[in-house]
Order: sequence, then structure tokens, then C-alpha cells
Amino acid sequence: MLEGHTARSFDGALSSLHVHVIEMGGLVLDQVREATRAYTDWDTQCAERVIAREPAINAYEARLDDAQLTLIARRQPVASDLKAIIAMSRAVAELERAGDEAKKIARTVLRLGGRPGPATSRDARHLGQLAVDLLRLSLEAFDVLDAALAAEVIARDHDLDAEYGAGLRRLLTRAMEDPRHFDVALDAAFVLKSLERIGDHARNLARHLLSIRTAGPHPAQSKRMI
Amino acid sequence: MPEPRRAEVSGAGGSAAGQHAAESGLDLKPSGRVHVPSSLEDGLPTGASVGNAFVDDPVFSCRDVSVFYGDKEAVRSVTLDIGQRQVLAAIGPSGCGKSTFLRCLNRMNDTIPGARVTGTITLDGQDVYDRRRDVAQLRARIGMVFQRPNPFPKSIYENVAYGPRIHKLTRSRADLDELVCTSLQRAGLWSEVKDRLNTLATGLSGGQQQRLCIARSLAVQPEVILMDEPCSALDPIATAHIEDLIDELRASLAIVIVTHSMQQAARVSERTAYFHMGRLIEIGDTDDVFTNPQHRLTEDYITGRFG
Repeated sequence: MLEGHTARSFDGALSSLHVHVIEMGGLVLDQVREATRAYTDWDTQCAERVIAREPAINAYEARLDDAQLTLIARRQPVASDLKAIIAMSRAVAELERAGDEAKKIARTVLRLGGRPGPATSRDARHLGQLAVDLLRLSLEAFDVLDAALAAEVIARDHDLDAEYGAGLRRLLTRAMEDPRHFDVALDAAFVLKSLERIGDHARNLARHLLSIRTAGPHPAQSKRMI
Repeated sequence: MPEPRRAEVSGAGGSAAGQHAAESGLDLKPSGRVHVPSSLEDGLPTGASVGNAFVDDPVFSCRDVSVFYGDKEAVRSVTLDIGQRQVLAAIGPSGCGKSTFLRCLNRMNDTIPGARVTGTITLDGQDVYDRRRDVAQLRARIGMVFQRPNPFPKSIYENVAYGPRIHKLTRSRADLDELVCTSLQRAGLWSEVKDRLNTLATGLSGGQQQRLCIARSLAVQPEVILMDEPCSALDPIATAHIEDLIDELRASLAIVIVTHSMQQAARVSERTAYFHMGRLIEIGDTDDVFTNPQHRLTEDYITGRFG
């Protein structure tokens, strides 16, 4: 999809861009996983590591933005190449925002707002696992440009949304039963919301991938037919 | 891009992107949005091309046009319309037949021994290859600009005045002066040459000479101008002048431009035709061809995947 240019350096530049987007995604995935653990296990050291790594994600974004601009300026890509570069640019923005959500979760721990109870921890852990799975799946799809996998990510985001709604209702019930810890519940609601947003970013990543994969000419019209 | 520090990654980390990109490029799944002419599928020789070859108000209508040089078929069954006041760009690799096709439109191939044109080409509904047709009259309606500017070795004025004079388009010297002036103005050259109309045209710069050639075609008030790589011998500034001129001229006439620069085709044309090995592969709105090419060969060509 991204290869086969007569000027092979263009192949190299496109595939390097692709590889770096996936690398950035790997970092974001790890941030989400660590931030969720920091919250559910109330591990401040882990939260600090998440905060400390956040600038690395922003640096990836800045570098990739630069690389994309350079590629557009120097190669004047059209058709599927242009779509691929635009889609990668959007993917980078999604990943950066997912990284921001992880940072928000880590901050909740460092603010020492209030440690969640076992039931809330369990809900957050479950939702976190779903978000991590979804993000990992969308990155795998993006890595191998697999449209079927991307469609699966989009479908599975609905499950995560449903889990988020259910988790929020359980949280509200507990908060009403014991209003003394309303501040803890409020923090927990924000954490659940962040995890739900990470799922949305994973879904958007999959959508951007589909925009590359549906680009390009019909496969049946290949060279051998002339 | 500088190699960023590889992050410690678990899960989707590392990357199969590099090694998988090549494979996944080959397993494109059918999107089902493009009609595949069966004749392309079974590989039979035919004029079928993808995209929309027709327009509502054609100035030129070409049907099943083939050109032979002796036994060699240089252009095979090309069917397309060229619209009124429209810029059509013909792109494709060298030897794909785009220039040959262009030369059919004003019967430039007549002069080549062994050249034979089949099919029909009509200009405003009249057969271009009608045997009773006066070719000189025909060519007065169809201007042509070549890759190398080819002004006559005469004054700037005489270059522009020559056509109107032999076609007797003006009645007085004042009329002719007027026509020379407006032609040079339309070609965007007037302000640069108005004080030196009687100097030799060959003393102009390459870009100015090319605009002079355009002014010379405009002087006989053609309906169409054919341009065969008009900018390939020019620098970027002169090229920009010509492209700007094409934008101006499209308000009053049709232009068919053959170009090796895909970027130029994308910049100046409303419709683009992609030729490959003598066949018209794809034709459509330039906006679509450069964003959603429907044929694999077009896609490969415009994105730089040759051969």
C-alpha cells in the first residue's frame, strides 16, 4: 500500500513515518496501561512515571508533524499516498489525546484525591483492560493496514461504551449509598470517562486506517489486464 | 526524520509495519465502488476506459480513434469528448500516444508518411477528416503551441499579424494593429513588448517567445488551442506565466494540453486523460483523478510507481 514507488527513498520515508506512528502508539498504550494500574493499585510511583513520560509523547507528535510536512512539501503526494499521510497525521493526533487521558488519570493519583474502594477499582480495572485491548488492536490493525481488524475495533468500541455506562451507574449507586466519599466518586467518574475516551481514540484510529484502505483503485484493474 | 529513542513497548510495540506494508499492498480488498469494464478484465483490445469520457457540450468529439504508423498502432480506440471552454490535460509516460492523439485533432499526422487515422473526430459536429475539408481553414480554428517556442524569424508584430493577414481577418491596417495588440494582451505579453514590436521575435526570452506563439494562435481567433508540452523548455517563472495564461484563456476557448508534469496537469486542467501504451485508460474530472483514481495504472503513474 505504502510501497512500490520508483523513487525508493519515498517508500523509505513513508514507511519510516508509519513505523514511528506505531512506535508512538506503543508508548501511548503503555501509558494507558500504567495509568490504569496506578489508579486501581493507588501506586504513586507508577503515576509519577506516567507523568514523566508524557513529554516523550509530545515530542513524537512534534517530530511526526515535521516529518509529514516535509514529505508533503518534498514529494507532493497525490491519491492514496496523500490519503495515507493525512490519515497518519490524524492518527498521531488521536494517540496524543489518548496519552493526555492517561496523564489525567495519573494526576488523579498524584493529587491524592481519594483512593477508590474495591468495587470502583474493579470497575476501573475492567474498563482499563477493555480500553487497552481496543487500543492495542487498533495499533495492530494500523501496523499491518488490516481493514477487517479496524472494523472489529470500531464494533468493539460499542461494548466499551456500554461498560462505561454501566460502571458509571454502579458508581452513582455507591455514591448515593455513602455520600461521605462523594469526592472519591467524582474522581472515579472522571477516570472512567478518560478510559472511555481512550476507547474512542482507538476507534478513531481505526477509522483513519479505513480511510487509507478504502482509497486507491479497484484491485481488479491491475497491470496484467492491459 | 531523526531516529527517535525506541520506547519500551509492550503489546503492539515494535513494528511489523515495514515488513507487512509490502504484503498488505498486494491484498487490496475489493471496494466494489468501481465498475470494471469486462473488456478490461478479459484483456481484449478495446477502447473502453474508466471514468467519464463524455461532456454535454463538446467542441471535439472523438469516437474510436486509432492511429497507425505503418503497421504500428500508436493510438488504439480512443473515445472522448473535449468540452467547450474547458482545459483537458493528457498525461502518460513517453510513447503512450498522447502527443499522437493531440496531433490527430488538427490533422498534423497527415504530413507523416505511413500515418493513418481511423474512427471519427468531429469539431462542432463537423468531421475533421472529411476529404472535402480545407485543412488550412481547419487549422485556423485550432491553434497549436509546441514544446520549443517557434516564432518566425520576423518582427514581433509580423509574427502575430501573419495569421490574420493570410486568412484575411482584418480589413485595414488599423484593424490589424488592433488585433495584434489584443492578441498580445490576451497572451499577457503586451506590456513587455509594446515598445519593441518591430524588433526580431527571436530576441525574446524563451518564456516570452512561447507567449508570443500563443498570441500568434490567438490572433486567428481559434476555438481550441492544442499545447504539446508547452512548458517543458521553460523555467518555473515562465511556466507560471503560461499556466496563469491558460487560466485566463479557458474563459473563451478550449485547451488540450499534453504534459509530462503531473503537477502541472493537476494545477491547470479541469479534466485529465491518462494514456498508457496507446490506450486511454482513464478520463475524468481532474479533482477526482488526482484524489480517487479509479484505475490501478493511473494510480501507479500519478503516485510515482512506474513499471
